[in-house]
Amino acid sequence: MHANLLFIPLFATLVCATGSRAQSLESNFRTTGPGVTAAFEPQRLVIQQSSAVVYQGRDEIAYGVVISPDGDVLTKASEIKGIDAAKLAVTIDQTKYTAVEIVGIDPVWDVAHLRVKASGLKPVVYAPTSAVPQGTWVVANGATSRTKRRVLGGIVSAKIREIPTAGGAALGVTLAQPKKKSDPQLVIEELSEKSGAKEAGLQPGDEITAIEGKPVKTREDIAKALKDRKAGAIIKVGYRRKNENLTADVRLMAREEMADQMSRNDQMSGDFSERRSGFPRILQHDILGASRSVGGPLLDLDGRCIGMNIARANRSESFAIPVEDLKAIAGRMLNHAKDRDAEPAAPAPDAQPAPSID
Amino acid sequence: MKRLIACVLAAALPGLAAAAPGRPYVNDKKAPENRKDLEAIQTALTSVLGKARAATVCIDLGQGSGSGVIVSEDGLILTAAHVSGGVRKDVTVIMEDGKKLKAVTLGLNSETDAAMIRITEEGKYPFIEVDREDTARLGDWVFSLGHSGGFDKERGSVVRLGRLVRMAESTIQSDCTLIGGDSGGPLFDLQGRLIGIHSRVGQQLQVNMHVPTSVFVKNWDALLKSEFVGEGPFAKKPEKGKGFLGLASEAHPDGGLKVTKVGKDTPAAKADIREGDILLKLNGTDLKTREQLQETLKEMAEGDPLEFAATRDGKPLTFKLKLGAR
Repeated sequence: MHANLLFIPLFATLVCATGSRAQSLESNFRTTGPGVTAAFEPQRLVIQQSSAVVYQGRDEIAYGVVISPDGDVLTKASEIKGIDAAKLAVTIDQTKYTAVEIVGIDPVWDVAHLRVKASGLKPVVYAPTSAVPQGTWVVANGATSRTKRRVLGGIVSAKIREIPTAGGAALGVTLAQPKKKSDPQLVIEELSEKSGAKEAGLQPGDEITAIEGKPVKTREDIAKALKDRKAGAIIKVGYRRKNENLTADVRLMAREEMADQMSRNDQMSGDFSERRSGFPRILQHDILGASRSVGGPLLDLDGRCIGMNIARANRSESFAIPVEDLKAIAGRMLNHAKDRDAEPAAPAPDAQPAPSID
Repeated sequence: MKRLIACVLAAALPGLAAAAPGRPYVNDKKAPENRKDLEAIQTALTSVLGKARAATVCIDLGQGSGSGVIVSEDGLILTAAHVSGGVRKDVTVIMEDGKKLKAVTLGLNSETDAAMIRITEEGKYPFIEVDREDTARLGDWVFSLGHSGGFDKERGSVVRLGRLVRMAESTIQSDCTLIGGDSGGPLFDLQGRLIGIHSRVGQQLQVNMHVPTSVFVKNWDALLKSEFVGEGPFAKKPEKGKGFLGLASEAHPDGGLKVTKVGKDTPAAKADIREGDILLKLNGTDLKTREQLQETLKEMAEGDPLEFAATRDGKPLTFKLKLGAR
């Protein structure tokens, strides 16, 4: 059913063709207008202090959630993918931090843990539950200036649920059709431009021989090995190139993300997050910022964090990680960092070149 | 002159509407100013959402899907003309819980994008009230429902909040964002009354257009009678003479037409008309010659209903079918 939706026609011309009797609401008082968003000033003050703006050079690329007084920030991992940490900067409230460390990545939830040298920050206060009725107000980052965060308001708009990987998680390779039955079945013919396989350096002509250490011989073997795996997961792929056996760490991606053609609904949506499926659980709302405004906190009217914005899925749906899962992710990532820092052999974070994400 | 009167009325009405019972006070503010105003919107919305959602359906056309909303206990549905696509077509209605029901398209207005569908299975269906008095005003807080991107039971229909940002005679515009699959779905006021049906969008997120319920009220009888109204862009009338039956016949000496051949998978075959059957009447008129049948069909179009009175081995039979497309 999804393949062929009854479209909503785009009728740009009709808007102005309806004659002089039409009345129009000034943009200041539209739902996203400043006249309306002014009502969210208490929540805006929380966003001002407890959300972060992530920059690459001078460009805003994502928002973040402040999770500790000491400079720990979570953001959307795929938005900073491939960017050297040295090029990242983070603004919290009015302070810009240019030394940013990428501490860790949770590929399943698409969350990155950043750290800046700060103290006395005001981390978000978690809401007790994400199980609020649909129609409940929520507030998130809107646009920002250098010093001032703005907000947008919206509502919880559908059931909390899993978003399965669109099209399934895949390596992103097309296999050559073997000429004979006895020929190797798994020789790569082509790699999708945006695929994890290409990222990992696989090439046409490589023969896939194993996945996660288990030998594969047929397409079915691969399908079986990838079944139930999530987009974002990194798997070991064994392959043969010129009689040499090699392995590569390949990031699985949603088939949909690697597709060359956009669906009609995607054309209509304009701006959407590249990674927008394959989440174990999401809270859906109708706040539609730009895709680069994802990553920040989603607040309730008490200013408590009910989730973390993780994808602008399309023109009418936005996804957030529900607070229960967000707390668990934050706890896990902070603990992981603590263990790492406690290891006596590890050099001080300063001495270590900041890792880039692959 | 007529236009002038209408203008005056439009100017006078907001004052009246403000006094309307049940109208949330926040609609008469330029914008919500504080938490109390925001909560007034939230309380109104959450208290009517369940009922609105139960009446919102997915219209599955096999080739695609849209949305619609039930407005009577016996299963009358309002939707968009570009969703129903024609009159007297069989479609499937999917309820919020996933239950599938048989339905048929009734009339449509191809100029304003209004259409009706009726659930043909007997039952008592959840339905919502239609605002027949045209009480919605510019700036009112509204919410939309629809099966965005197609039916998804795990998700349910998607609710979006916004304001009425533009009002014209046959189109109202809100900033509740719509996407493919929402077409034909309902726009509600904060009292849970239907005020519009989703029709089309512009490139900008704020341009989401709906057919106001006043257009349905104006066309109600024609839509109920399965009429195809207008020659607008939202639906194309089937052309006369392009309907297809799928049988060959010859005059029978004792009267009527004897079927000499039935094409495989044709509307005639699907209605179980067989070789050797004698067709006596078509829609109440005696059949005498092959030419007469051809002339009658030439005046009809795809989707038009046919009822043949016939005999097979002397026993009377009735065939009911719809003309297919050639």
